[in-house]
Amino acid sequence: MTFNVLVTGVGGEGVLFTSVIITRAANIEGHELRGTQLHGLAQRGGQIPTHIRFGKEDVFSPTIPRGEADLIIGMEPVEAARYCYFADRERTSFVVDTYPIIPVYTMLLGEKYPSMDEIKAMIRPFAKKAVFADASHICKEKLGDPVYGNAMIVGIAISCGMLPLKKSSVEEVLKQTSGKYAESNLNALRLGLEYRE
Amino acid sequence: MANPDVLGKVGKRVALLGNEAIVRGALEAGMGFSACYPGTPSSEVGLTFADIAKQSGFYFEWSTNEKVAFEACTGAAFCGVRALTALKHFGLNVACDSIFPIAYVGVHGGLVINVADDPMGHSSGQSEEDSRRFARIGNMPMLEPANLQECRDFTKLAFEMSEKYEIPVFLRTTTMVAHSVGTIRLGKIRKPKTKGRFVKDYMRYYCITPVIQKMHENVLKKLDMIEKDYECLNRTEGDLGSRTGILALGVSYQYIKELGLKGVKIGKLGLSYPISRKFVSNFIKNLETIIVLEELEPIVEDFVREIAKDVNPKLKIYGKNILPRVGEFSTEMIRERIAPVIGIKKKDFSRQEAELKKMKLPTRKAVLCPGCPHRSTFYAVREALGENVVWAGDIGCYIIGIFEPFKMQDFVIAMGASLGITHGIKKVSEQKVVAFMGDSTFFHAGMAGLVNLKYNDPKVLVVIMDNSITAMTGHQPHPGTGYNAIGEKKEAIKIEDVVRSFGITNIRIVNAFNQKEIQAAVKELDAKPGVSVLISRGMCRLLLNRILKRKGQKFPVFEIMQSERRDLSRLDRFACPAIIKDGSKYRIDPEVCWGCSVCSQIAPAGAIKPKVPTKKEAEG
Repeated sequence: MTFNVLVTGVGGEGVLFTSVIITRAANIEGHELRGTQLHGLAQRGGQIPTHIRFGKEDVFSPTIPRGEADLIIGMEPVEAARYCYFADRERTSFVVDTYPIIPVYTMLLGEKYPSMDEIKAMIRPFAKKAVFADASHICKEKLGDPVYGNAMIVGIAISCGMLPLKKSSVEEVLKQTSGKYAESNLNALRLGLEYRE
Repeated sequence: MANPDVLGKVGKRVALLGNEAIVRGALEAGMGFSACYPGTPSSEVGLTFADIAKQSGFYFEWSTNEKVAFEACTGAAFCGVRALTALKHFGLNVACDSIFPIAYVGVHGGLVINVADDPMGHSSGQSEEDSRRFARIGNMPMLEPANLQECRDFTKLAFEMSEKYEIPVFLRTTTMVAHSVGTIRLGKIRKPKTKGRFVKDYMRYYCITPVIQKMHENVLKKLDMIEKDYECLNRTEGDLGSRTGILALGVSYQYIKELGLKGVKIGKLGLSYPISRKFVSNFIKNLETIIVLEELEPIVEDFVREIAKDVNPKLKIYGKNILPRVGEFSTEMIRERIAPVIGIKKKDFSRQEAELKKMKLPTRKAVLCPGCPHRSTFYAVREALGENVVWAGDIGCYIIGIFEPFKMQDFVIAMGASLGITHGIKKVSEQKVVAFMGDSTFFHAGMAGLVNLKYNDPKVLVVIMDNSITAMTGHQPHPGTGYNAIGEKKEAIKIEDVVRSFGITNIRIVNAFNQKEIQAAVKELDAKPGVSVLISRGMCRLLLNRILKRKGQKFPVFEIMQSERRDLSRLDRFACPAIIKDGSKYRIDPEVCWGCSVCSQIAPAGAIKPKVPTKKEAEG
């Protein structure tokens, strides 16, 4: 059975970093893998979902078919809601960082950025389970920088049984990929693993 | 830095990006030379080459444009060195002028052109061009990988094919292949051959009459041979006796495999040009129905129709009559569109549709980064000249100036096109025109347009927005930066020296983060006759942030002095992502602010100031 993860967020938030962690950890565990990582214009404050699909059997499509996401990681709450297209309440778990990044266009176009309660209400009909965590804030307070929220969110997904990867393989990837930031990322992962709603 | 797995040991199983798998293929093929101009979705090929060139021992450069890059690769291949250039679909258009004749004269070392198309315009734009047509115009073979494994394997194959038949070979990807991720087992890296020799061969390398007819004939013969010799790249799977067949290539093949259909025969093409007549004839011979799956143009479909006339005239052919010619495919789209033809069930998403319809989500489009020099320049030029101006746009991050609150790119066509089009407008209209162009675009295709402008000398202001890097594609150096792709120091070619050498004397160079300076210079140049050039110079903030981070430094952060109660509505016309408006109250998000200070220059004096760090922050 293929396990499908969608990582959503805003350019510059570390969506690519989060997907690299998951992709490499799945590779360490010997899974077959496919997915997408879009680059380019989307990185400039736009929205960039990435797809990661892994399992013991061959995976074909690089993108997750509609309604077949097993986990949606939302690095930004509105962007988690925007990609409910890939979700199904029988199947999909959500881990959402509740730190909002309000688009400049909200002001320019006179739109409204929904409240956290409204966003939760949008996501719930698509979710088997949903965890909303203030990861960026917590990491800012405890580790000095909200960017560590990425590793913390992965930790939450693992500890809630929403992401079938081992803690040890994620740790190995963080050590390999984040150089001098490895220690802070490992601490962030731990914060996630210990997180209780 | 490059993904270290690209250089992993033979036999290791690694996860790579499609573009990285192409790089690995080139390493396993012993490529000795590469020159590129960045263009997403192909940019990571060159970015990875740049990172590993030194340690791997091959030559890599970022050239001034795709045509020059391809020509450099050709020079290496003339001398027997294997060379590869990677470009996006619109980069191919630039290079084609030189590519087509090389198909006729041929090469000695393998010469591979990796072109990445972008149906849907995820990461580039301009058009949903289908580069498969170019293989047909130019008489060159085109390999089309569907997945990671094939990205690597077909790159190696492309070098072999190119050398064997002495012809340049296209390796075509689309975004969903180039930017797809997957696992492969690594093969052996071959030591690159980086030195060769040009052997004089009278009449071999000229495209002139009467030789061109002979060359044309020769190239067609090569294509015939390739069609036969590489038939093995096509394969048939699934229910081989079925009367229903599906023929696919590229990522469409991955989607149809994902559906796991029973009772259909599936054909996969590896070469999108030339397509094997023998394979297609055999594939369709006993079918009642065929569905051709290809994104964009009906190229394979037209070929199937042509062959079916002789082989199976009653064959029911489905392609663009049920599937779109616009945008990308997806697994669920294919399922939905082919369901009535092959008698499978559609999935019911009506409940989800209803929920999705209820959602009211705020628009999120691309936005200039906090502290971006382009935002400051746009703001200042508009303040100085008002809005009754035709704003000529060009290609770079500054295309985001299309959107609110600037709307200062009235047209965006192609690299360097702002200047040629401006010239035409000025010859037939009295309107004021200001052209915007980036530094990398200036070197790529701006210089010829500027010479033409100057020679004919209409009254025009050209604003060169120099952020000292090719920013949009991931920070590649260019001849103005003073260092090359592998980080060696070079003597920078100054844009102002080039502009002056064209005889343009109305030049002002300003600090892109100084509103007063830019506005004064724009007004001054606007009063002058003929062509004026304003160089607005300020480093890409994303790049500067990276440099500071490496040094352990941070930008100063600005804050709004709430006690001042001043009118800050001008900030709405500036639209910095760090400035948040709650009702009529403004605040600056310190996590987002990159300290360019421009908002403090726009706001009434004293309303915005650099934030004094708290004791805790100062210590931390």
